[in-house]
Amino acid sequence: MSANDDFKDGLIREIPNLRAFAASLSGSMQLADDLVQDTLLKAWGNSDKFEPGTSLRAWLFTILRNTYYSLYRKRGREVQDSEGTYAERMATQGNQESHLDLADFRKALAKLPEEQREVLIMVGATGLSYEEAAEICGVAIGTIKSRVNRARTKLAELLSIGSADDLGPDRTSSAAMQRAGSETVGF
Amino acid sequence: MTNLDAMMPDPGGDNDDFDMVLDPKVQESIGRSLKAHYDDIVNAPVPDKFLVLLAQLEATEQRAAGASSDERE
Repeated sequence: MSANDDFKDGLIREIPNLRAFAASLSGSMQLADDLVQDTLLKAWGNSDKFEPGTSLRAWLFTILRNTYYSLYRKRGREVQDSEGTYAERMATQGNQESHLDLADFRKALAKLPEEQREVLIMVGATGLSYEEAAEICGVAIGTIKSRVNRARTKLAELLSIGSADDLGPDRTSSAAMQRAGSETVGF
Repeated sequence: MTNLDAMMPDPGGDNDDFDMVLDPKVQESIGRSLKAHYDDIVNAPVPDKFLVLLAQLEATEQRAAGASSDERE
């Protein structure tokens, strides 16, 4: 009973991370939420297979990722983010300053090959280790490192920031203005 | 082993080219943007439907457990 409650609480705590990872994989908030729902259902049904003491996040990411590749991948390319969730939230991100513009960044991120994008997110944003990412993807750690490097290089290329000189604030504001005129959802 | 070998990036995996080294500032900027992208979603309100779903799953399980203990009595 109480072990069950702990498991449920753990799932609830991981929902925000599952949504962020699912959105990063699928490129759509709508698909992401469907994916999270499927993941929660599978996790609940397989709770006996989770080993307490190991990373619940890594376990859930494995389920989510497998679900994505077996069921969602095709839909992701077809479905546009009709809710406009990203676009709305972009408006609140006023103080990016020297950061790259979030919308431009997401467009670039969406252009990365899936295998590079997923590891870059896992290692660069979720707090998972290279070891955990390797286990989740079923590849060697060296492969993860190589994919992360290539993802970064590709992103820099897509965002035209090969060197620190390209990171000036002028570029950021002009990119933001260009975006205001375009209807592309991008990510 | 020569110095050059020592400087080579970790081989192995599926890389057929040498890993490029990015300007640390560029890497840092990409890192910040990654976090900004991810945290933006992490910090967004969680739709109620997920909590509803988990509550339903739990209730179903408790009902099932209750039913089986009734049978035993």
